[in-house]
Order: sequence, then structure tokens, then C-alpha cells
Amino acid sequence: MNWKRNLLPVITFAKIAIRRTFRDRLALFFVFLFPLIFLFIFGGIFGKNSAASFSVAVINQSHSTFSKQFVGQLGSNKIFKIDDASNTMAKANEKMNRGQLDAAIVLPPGFGDIQGKYPSGRAQVYYSQNNATAGQSLASVLDGVFKGINATLTQTPAPFSVTATQTNDKGLTAFDYTFSGLLGFSIIGLGIFGPVNVFPELKKQGILRRLHTTPLRVWQYFLANMVSQSAVGLCSIAIMFAVAIAVFHLKVSGNIFELIVYIVLGIITIFGIGLAIGGWAANERQAAPLSNIVTFPMIFLSGTFFPRFLMPEWLQKVSAFLPLTPVIDGIRLIATEGKNLTDLGPQLGLMGAWIVIIYFTAFRVFRWE
Amino acid sequence: MAEKLLVVKDLKKRYDDFEAVKGISFEVERGEIFGILGPNGAGKTTTLEMIETIKSIDGGSIMLDGLDVTKETQKVKYIIGVQPQSPAFMDKVKLTEQLEQLASAYGERVNAKKLLKEVGLEDKGGDYVESLSGGQKQRFSIVASLVHNPKVFFMDEPTTGLDPQARRNLWDLISDIKKKGVTVVMTTHYMEEAELLCDRVAIMDNGEIIALDTPKNLVKQLLDKGFKPTRKVEQANLEDVFIDLTGKDLRD
Repeated sequence: MNWKRNLLPVITFAKIAIRRTFRDRLALFFVFLFPLIFLFIFGGIFGKNSAASFSVAVINQSHSTFSKQFVGQLGSNKIFKIDDASNTMAKANEKMNRGQLDAAIVLPPGFGDIQGKYPSGRAQVYYSQNNATAGQSLASVLDGVFKGINATLTQTPAPFSVTATQTNDKGLTAFDYTFSGLLGFSIIGLGIFGPVNVFPELKKQGILRRLHTTPLRVWQYFLANMVSQSAVGLCSIAIMFAVAIAVFHLKVSGNIFELIVYIVLGIITIFGIGLAIGGWAANERQAAPLSNIVTFPMIFLSGTFFPRFLMPEWLQKVSAFLPLTPVIDGIRLIATEGKNLTDLGPQLGLMGAWIVIIYFTAFRVFRWE
Repeated sequence: MAEKLLVVKDLKKRYDDFEAVKGISFEVERGEIFGILGPNGAGKTTTLEMIETIKSIDGGSIMLDGLDVTKETQKVKYIIGVQPQSPAFMDKVKLTEQLEQLASAYGERVNAKKLLKEVGLEDKGGDYVESLSGGQKQRFSIVASLVHNPKVFFMDEPTTGLDPQARRNLWDLISDIKKKGVTVVMTTHYMEEAELLCDRVAIMDNGEIIALDTPKNLVKQLLDKGFKPTRKVEQANLEDVFIDLTGKDLRD
């Protein structure tokens, strides 16, 4: 059987490469622990409830019952995050100037004292110049709160009103975006930085040269590497999913099988870049700068650490065509938005085009020594 | 089947302005040990690499067992075994795995334990190459280069950097390989090694072969020219003393 004989080296090389990864502590750190560290850092930043909230200081200078109740009400409102430490204007000012607080709400002496029939008063909102938007929206939020209180006190029905209702519970949180970006980042680490370091070393030691004297074909060697990298990468990504679900309450709604297929395609795409650079470079000095030039734009523009929709429109249009962009978008679309592979025509098409370009280049530039 | 195993004709190699191999021709018989000697930079390794199919040929031809090395490269690779100058093995891969991996490159499966036993490494199958001594590495490298039973075996300076015991052990191994009918082509810096092992030697300098004959004939030709050694040849030398004192047993 000729095809069996052709695949024997692919399977044998892949098997041994996988075993070797699990024996190498440094490799284990970079493949498994390193992405998890990023997951915890970014999960800590973006994993919180993403409802718009204001960090405020509440300075209550009044002694009325109403003012005490009012402060308690603010504290239980999710929109406000009250910094208890800033209980004087001086402390609040200091934090506002550093951008740690959005505004300070001051309830002046006598706020909430009964005047005539109802308790009344005028709360003041202070904000620094560079936080004008937050300060003004906070003022209007408070205005709304007071209108509500006024309405309950005076019992007059308001002719116009607004009710806000949640549309669905599947809206994307900041963490959902961050997570698929982090997967993209770990695929870059595994697929580009891995081979870019390994191949020049294999050349330096003459290991590829030895293989070159055997009948081993370049495609067999490439395929073996693709298989082992995909297997190791899938393990690493599975662990990231497990941690994200357990610790950061990631909601995975897509089909797992389709997700695996898509992730493997993503790994193959990105690994091709590492293979092309590492396979071409004669030594580390050639490999390192080229891999940085190729990798850094993708890290910053493909949505690894912050979503692409935050970029100016022209930049979004350009960065849509980077090889990593369809990888990250597709993973997010399947995993958190529950899309199917059949919905991902544009992403699959773009990835397919990149696979052809990247592997064509990799085969052309590969050198055994 | 071609009569001669290896026929090299007018072989040339240039690196930019430097002519590394200047049109050399030689033939290697089946079953012999053929040595290529010469100072550093003489073109020995380049010549070997062109025959091993890993360097392109700029001029001339190489026929190996009736196969043209430039045209039938893939077929040639199945019948050659190559031992590189440095051991060149990946770390954190067991010896048995290394052998399985190399054999798979030829589309073959091997009994790794049996192969290791042939070079006295049967206890080391589960170890990594990095834990072997220099001599053990060299012996392992040989068995790894022979996993596919090649017709011809190329060795580039196999004993450089080994201690006298390990060198003697390697000489025995090379003789055993010859006994199995494998043709050996090797380069070396050690004249006593060439004299002891090689059936014929080619001496290279500046990219040319300046002499080619059996070691005995080459010595005879020199003596016929009226050569007198500068110092009296003793019946034994310091290495003999060393071996006598420390024994022939391998130290690894």
C-alpha cells in the first residue's frame, strides 16, 4: 500500500513530536500556562459585569433621614460603584484628577429636610474637565432618579415615560470578545513563535540536514508538524475554554464539533506562517525580526486584545483581511454566538485563501539547512 | 546492476568566487572502505555532500549503483546511509523513538531494541541522546544511519573528538559494517585510521585529488622516491602505551 507507506513518516513524526512537547517543561509553560496567565489577566479586567457603571464618591453633608436612605439606594443601584474611601471632597478631587473616579455626588447640608410638604434639596455633581461626558451623563441619570422620587412623592402621573427592557440574554459581553481574541493570541504563540524558534535550532544542530539525506518529503514533514501542532494546540485551547467557562462564566452556545474543526483550520493557517518563516530562515537572526514584523500587526489589529469594532472604520476594513482576523471572528461566532460553519462563508473563504498563499510560500522557501 | 558502486566524473562545485571542487573523478568498488583524506578546506565534505544528494552539483556527474544522483535523487536516498559530522539528534526523544522515526522516513518499521543491541546500547533504549557519552552517541549515530540497510554508508570524520578507546571501538564497528557487504566512504584527518581501515584512499587538496591508491602503495611510492623519515620509527608509540595502560575497554 503506497499511501500507507507515505503516511507512516507523517504519523510517526507527529506522534513523537507530541510526546516530546509533553516532556519539555519550557514548551509546556509556553503552550499551556502562558495563555492561561493572559486569560486570568484579561478575564480579570473584562470579566466583570459589563453594564455601564460610574465610579463615584458620595459625600453626604446632610443629617436628614432622607439623605441617608438616598445614599443607601445609590449603593444598591448597579449603575453606581461607590468608593467608600472618598468621604471628603479633597479625597474625591484627588482621585478624580487621577481618573480613578468619574464624579463626586455631594449632598449639601440640609439635603432632604422637610420643606413644606415634602423633603427637598439639590444634589451637586462634580466632575473634572477630562471626564465631562461621564459627569454629564451621571447628572442626567441622577435627574432621572429624582424625577422618579418626585413622582412617587407628588403622586401625579407623568404624561411621558420610558421603559427599558432587555432584548435577549445572549448579548456579547466584553469577555466574550476578549476570550476569542486570547485564543487568537495563543494560536499565534503556538503557531508562529514556536516554529520560528524551533526550526533555526534544528538547522543549527544539523537535524534537518540528516533528514534531508533520507527520502522524507517536505510535504510529509510539513503535514507531520501540522498534525502535532494542531493536537497540542487543541489541548491548550480546550484548557482555556474549561477555565473560561468555570471561572469567567463564558457561555458556549455553538456546536463543539464545528468549533474543533474551525479551530484546527485556524491553527493550520497561522502555523503555516511560522513554518514559512522558520523553514526559510537559516538562523535565529533572520527568523526573529521577520516574525515580529508579521506578528505584531496581527496581534494589535486582528482583535486579540481589544475588539476590532473600536477601531476607525478604514482600519477595520484593512484589518479584516489579516490572516488572524477570520480565525478570531469565526471562533467567536461559533463559540459564543452559536453560528454554524455554513454561516461562516466569508471567514472560511478568507482563511482558505490564506492557507493556499501561506503554504505555497512555505513550500517554496523551505530550506533543510 | 552497475559494476562499480560509485562513479564520479569531472565533479565541480563553486561557492561564489571560490571553486571548492575542481573537476574530480574517482570510482568506488562494491564492498570496499574508501577514504577521502585531506587538510581542512580541501573539499572533502563538499564532495561527500554532493554524493549524498544534499548539495547541488555544478558540473560533472555522479552515478551511484547505476542511478544518476541529480536525476534520480529520491531513489538514491533509499540506498545511502549518511552519518553527519555532529550527531544531530533532537533532545527529549528516546533512542528507540529516534530509530523508529528515522526508519519511518524510509517507509519502514524497525526492531529498535535489536538494532541497539548490535552497538551495545541495549540498556539505553529508553534514554535520550543527550545523556549518552561521546562514544555512545557516535555508535548510536551509526546505527541510526543504517536503519534502512543502505548499500553505501558515508561517514564524515567519524572519530574526531573521541578518546582512544572509543576510536578503537568505532574502528571495529566500521569493519563489521564492511563485513555485512556495505560499502563505506569516509573522510578522516587521522592517517593511522585510514591506513588501518581503508582499502583505498584519495588524498584531496585545494579541490583536487592529488593521489589515489591503496595506503600500502602510496607509502611504497613515497619510499621509492627516496623518502627518509625525519625521526626513527619506534616499534610502538605513545598511543600504544596509553592503550596498554588503560585497557581496550570502552569507558562509557
